[in-house]
Amino acid sequence: MEISLTVNGILKTVDIADENTPLLWVVRDTLDLKGTKFGCGKAACGACTLLVDDEAVRSCSYPVKFAEGKKVTTIEGLGDRENPHPVQQAWIEEIVPQCGYCQPGFMMATAALLNKVPKPTDEDIDKNIINVCRCGTYYRMRKAIHKAAELQAEKVINESKEV
Amino acid sequence: MKQKPVYTFLILMVIGVFLVFAGAPKISDYEIVEVENTVEVTSDDSYNKMMDVLTHQRCMNCHPSDHIPKQGDTSHPHHFGMARGEDDHGFEATSCNTCHQSENNLNSGVPGAPHWALAPASMAWEGLTREQIAERLLDKSTNGNRSHQELIEHMTEDDLVLWAWEPGVDADGKPRTIPPVSKEDFKKAVENWFADGAIIPSK
Amino acid sequence: MADKEKDSKKVSRRKFLVKGGLGTIGVVAIGAYLFRSPIRRQILGVVNSLEAPYLDNIDQPMIWFEVTSDNNILLHSPKMEMGQGTFTGIAQMAAEELSVSMNQIQVVHAASSTGNVDSFATGGSTSISGLWKPLRELSAMLRVMLLKEAALKMNVDIDQLSVVDGVISGNGKTLTYAQAAEGVENWEVPDVPVLKDAKDYKYIGQPIARVDLDAKVYGDPIFGMDAEMPGMLYGAVVRASKIGSTFISADTKAAESMPGVVKIVVEDDFVGVVENSMIEAENAKDAINVTWDSYDNLNTDAIVKMMTVGNGKSSVIQKNGDSFGDQDEVVTLEFRSPIGAHAQIEPNGVVAFVDGDTATIKISTQVVGLTRKEVAKRLDLDVEKVNVIPTYLGGGFGRRLHTPHAVQAAIMSKVVGKPVKYFFSRKEEFQHDMFRPPTHHVIKGKLNEEGYLAGLEHQFVSGDVATDSALIPNALTNFLGADVGAIRGGFIQYTAIPNFKAECWHVELPFATSWWRSLGLLANTFAMESFIDEMALKANMNAVDFRLHQIADEPIDIRLKNVIKAAAEKANYSEEVKDGRAMGFAASIDANTPCAQVVEVSIVDNEIVVHKVTVAMDPGLAVNPDQIRAQCEGCVIMGMSAVLYEQMFVEDGELTPTIYGPYQMALMKNAPKEIDVVLLQGKDTPGAVGEPPLGPIGAAIANAVRRLTGERLTELPLKLSKKA
Repeated sequence: MEISLTVNGILKTVDIADENTPLLWVVRDTLDLKGTKFGCGKAACGACTLLVDDEAVRSCSYPVKFAEGKKVTTIEGLGDRENPHPVQQAWIEEIVPQCGYCQPGFMMATAALLNKVPKPTDEDIDKNIINVCRCGTYYRMRKAIHKAAELQAEKVINESKEV
Repeated sequence: MKQKPVYTFLILMVIGVFLVFAGAPKISDYEIVEVENTVEVTSDDSYNKMMDVLTHQRCMNCHPSDHIPKQGDTSHPHHFGMARGEDDHGFEATSCNTCHQSENNLNSGVPGAPHWALAPASMAWEGLTREQIAERLLDKSTNGNRSHQELIEHMTEDDLVLWAWEPGVDADGKPRTIPPVSKEDFKKAVENWFADGAIIPSK
Repeated sequence: MADKEKDSKKVSRRKFLVKGGLGTIGVVAIGAYLFRSPIRRQILGVVNSLEAPYLDNIDQPMIWFEVTSDNNILLHSPKMEMGQGTFTGIAQMAAEELSVSMNQIQVVHAASSTGNVDSFATGGSTSISGLWKPLRELSAMLRVMLLKEAALKMNVDIDQLSVVDGVISGNGKTLTYAQAAEGVENWEVPDVPVLKDAKDYKYIGQPIARVDLDAKVYGDPIFGMDAEMPGMLYGAVVRASKIGSTFISADTKAAESMPGVVKIVVEDDFVGVVENSMIEAENAKDAINVTWDSYDNLNTDAIVKMMTVGNGKSSVIQKNGDSFGDQDEVVTLEFRSPIGAHAQIEPNGVVAFVDGDTATIKISTQVVGLTRKEVAKRLDLDVEKVNVIPTYLGGGFGRRLHTPHAVQAAIMSKVVGKPVKYFFSRKEEFQHDMFRPPTHHVIKGKLNEEGYLAGLEHQFVSGDVATDSALIPNALTNFLGADVGAIRGGFIQYTAIPNFKAECWHVELPFATSWWRSLGLLANTFAMESFIDEMALKANMNAVDFRLHQIADEPIDIRLKNVIKAAAEKANYSEEVKDGRAMGFAASIDANTPCAQVVEVSIVDNEIVVHKVTVAMDPGLAVNPDQIRAQCEGCVIMGMSAVLYEQMFVEDGELTPTIYGPYQMALMKNAPKEIDVVLLQGKDTPGAVGEPPLGPIGAAIANAVRRLTGERLTELPLKLSKKA
């Protein structure tokens, strides 16, 4: 069946044999966006987290049929080197990643958090950021999440000035 | 490593305590009980059938008393610290719907149904006796302000309630257990109990 | 524990040659570098201070560098990047001696076709220390070679040339490295130049951001799971869920009619299925009915019983003075650690293509050489015809020190004539991990009249770590008598004690156990440093003073004392319980790197909460202090996770749990909000970094809990038995 969805701002139509195929595999294999990772396939580790209509979704457990007509954002579309998302900028400033495998999922979950809670407390972070990182980058991640909140606030102020 | 027998012991303890509180005889026990007033027997029977379902972990896991959803037949706390949040749907960015969709996911074993969420805190049943659950069920302040008719509809038609009989498979691909009463019998039991005046037997 | 400098042979001139013509790139420089094998070293005697040298493959030339036409340097790394920051450290080392800027160096994983194959492994915290000398020498040689060519082209005496950022100038003229290299066919190979003096370092010693940072933040890197080949199919291999299962036979009838089946491959030792899609492959795999010969009734208790000091074979690894029997006033404590899973987030995955007499393998592996050898052997190919192309690793931690799934993928590819990709499910990862073995420790100690230890004895038992691994020949373990992995951290570091002994027992388990980051260190240090703390309490002495007094005066001992003092000072170590918080102290030496930690814990809802960890470590020269800090932070959190939460069980012959969550690990909310790292430099070369900080964390937490609650926790994971 054909499914249309907007991925990182571009309307895509994919032909999928099984509408229950996890969105993860459509993004990775059909659309060749490899930044979204497979970790467990059971929505337990969070490596596959991406945004569907700006909400964090664990894409290994999200049938592609539900994405019909929706807006999907992956790490590749969160920001780029010219215009990094505040989360990416903060991740760079705090030098967060080690092996890097879980990081896109964490960054997408953090982006979703900042959408909802622009200035998260440590408690907000503890509740909402529950992905698994084996290298143990949580310590730097927490710093980066606070920094991202600051960067986002600055960005909002600057943008409002420009307007 | 020594924990395992401890866990088993704890589970047995919990089950034991549960049985003491609930005083839950098997349905089959009722079939041999002779009582004079048949109307009341039907009502009582309906009541217990209904309660066998409401107290089953498929239902009880999402009616917690501590804001923490439970999982599995052991009703352990939901992993990763997921909890009720402000609106029964988890936390701001990591909500129930981050993982749970409107239907079961057979690939991942993540259960799902429309409006997947915890029952509101007012509907906390965990740790209550059958009588207390029934009281809460009938009390508009703890049942979502529902009339008897609305309760019947909720209990016999709501997708999330009826999910208990189609709970899908777990992370290991094994089917989840379902309540000990069939869906149709449960619906009938709910309707009969209300039709008979929604009497809580011990009262 | 002498702080010996390893020696290495000079660059072999015979092996140094230059070849052009890899695609459009200007120049390829090839060199081989010979070292003596650590296998020939007296491993056991120095194992606690072992800094294994880099081991190359001496049989063929190796590509190290390519000078590209846009004047950048491509550095082919024989060491894999698995998060430990090796790519960054080696880029700094190469940039230093090549006189190029950091952004002119691009580090890539060396495919085995470059010949630059590490015949041992990426592991053991040896990458930077092992490459320290050879990589800088090779870089300096390449610089001199380029200068010589430039001198000819510029017609300027080489002594008048200088280099800044890969641009050579002299006598008013300039030439880039790329221009200098262009067209050169016969290179003059120089002697090894004098390396830069430490005071002139521009990059070494700087906290430069990871070279893979941007890529990892924008989602670019290709891991094994992301690797593809054109026209590839998907494979799946049936794995038993019961421990110790031996493949007997497979009924493939039902699977043969499944949609998308290309081929069912039945070998002597496994059955696999090749399909058009990954999901079809998984479904067909489930339809294959395999008969296994398995253990059915195994459970955790049986494993614990097996893993008890006194069982199996033993070997005394350290002895001084007299042993003491069961005299009066001997304190005996027993400790246990459970089975631990690697639980790295990227499952093991591989894409293989066998085409005639050649094979191409894309894989995340810590053992390129071993993987290549195993594929060549099983498929009867020339080793040189097997090209292993390593990817980034989504975590290594020792899990990828054997990657035989490459062989299975290669066999499936050979059968279907197309590339085949296959990877582990998470359940397979958990059940077919090569686990950290459970351990049991019996420690005895006796105080003298002054309150210090008159004697100390550590008896411990472990399953396989190095023994029966693909990396270390069993003959070696038999020869050495003890498992060289299990003994990590098992030695007594308080060698001023007059009488001490360490004895390692070995029990074979019915499931695979092997390398888990820091090997025996995590459990051994937990046991030893918990015991030392208990003895300090018994002696009514400060835990820091008690330790310092009983450490000898060899160079490594002095470094250990220094990290102990530094950690205590930085953390304001105190034995008072304040505001419901207590501190715990522990120290260890691993791979010649001493590390001390102070933790601050409290008890909340009967759970241990770690608020702050202070780490003092002396890894020698810090090539990249920021990444060393990152490794300390990571080890603290991974170690915390292991000692507070993680545990595999055996139930009815199956290893459980099989998913994150039930396999509880530290999450964001569990990680300490403060990690303070102090780096000391007690020697002028780089040492081990990626594992030593895993040593002290377990005992430090347990010691803090002891001071807070009075309870001595002796089993990992640490669980409070009573309400605090």
